[in-house]
Amino acid sequence: MMLLAKAALGLGGALVMAGTYTFHEGLIRVDVDEYRAGGSHVHMWVPAAVVPMTMHFVPRHHLRDAAEHAREFLPVAHALFKELKEFPDAEFVEVKDDDQHVRIRTHDGKLQIDVEAPDQNVHVLVPLSTVDDVVGQLEASSPGA
Amino acid sequence: MSNVNRGFITKAVLATATGLLLSVGVMAQSTPAPAKAAQSTSSATTEKGERWLHVRVICTTGKGDTVRVNVPLELAEKVLPAVNHDRLHNGKVRIDSSDINDVDLRALVDAIRTAKDGEYVTVQGNDNDVRVAKEGNHLIIHVVDKGASKKSQVEVKVPMKVIEALLSAGKDELDLVAALHALGAQGDVELVSVKDSENTVKVWLDSKNVAD
Repeated sequence: MMLLAKAALGLGGALVMAGTYTFHEGLIRVDVDEYRAGGSHVHMWVPAAVVPMTMHFVPRHHLRDAAEHAREFLPVAHALFKELKEFPDAEFVEVKDDDQHVRIRTHDGKLQIDVEAPDQNVHVLVPLSTVDDVVGQLEASSPGA
Repeated sequence: MSNVNRGFITKAVLATATGLLLSVGVMAQSTPAPAKAAQSTSSATTEKGERWLHVRVICTTGKGDTVRVNVPLELAEKVLPAVNHDRLHNGKVRIDSSDINDVDLRALVDAIRTAKDGEYVTVQGNDNDVRVAKEGNHLIIHVVDKGASKKSQVEVKVPMKVIEALLSAGKDELDLVAALHALGAQGDVELVSVKDSENTVKVWLDSKNVAD
């Protein structure tokens, strides 16, 4: 009985530690709802720490291609996301017209993009550190690096 | 110690350990980084005294379409040098002398800087009224377009320090980063205001991280 309890505690501890590590950077949340016949409804919650880890498994040539395409924007994105982490929560852009509402803001170290339109709603929440990691890895994969 | 007590104590220790492990997991998810704990959108005035540049465009026709952009100056100062596109490199814009009809901008600004406050240019025409003046270390440009369809009014107010910083780079360059840095040292100021029958545009600087 005691042996089982200790094994369960060990397993539970390992699971909690693994969970803690997996979720330490928070969650990436993507919600897409298209309001039309056959429109897609995507609701995705992914541990943010998984993304930089997964990028290690992406074939080098794909990363190089992506880095090549984004070459001009990578230094800007890197500087931007690195600095954004240091600033207080703020709404950086808000566009509102007759039927659309777009907001780009930071909240609790996450970049939040919300688009509300009559035909679709899109909500994206990504930890800034994750975006910075991804941009950093793309920069490292660029041909000149 | 009796067997009953030992079993109870062991269970209590196991339960406590499990609780602690779970709380670590929950805290890792819910506790933001200490540096960000004090951050909040509700705090309008930023704690570190950051300067924010705000742009607001309101379409006065229809349902009042609006665009609001809020940018911390410090962020712009750090990001701008990373932008290398067309004539913009390292936070500086290259200008062709032909763009400004070979006018020596530095000499012009130097002349304005050392001159006393006053109205330098006043044009009153059938279509436009233009006024260029220097008031309290600010260069003010005021244009009223009296065109038939869209009456518009443009007012630009730029601190002289900012103009000087803008021209502090090489001969054919505008130093945007230096200008932003100089702008950050200014008090709250409304830099640009445009009003016409359809839109109002306002660009201003203050210490709040939210627009009005």
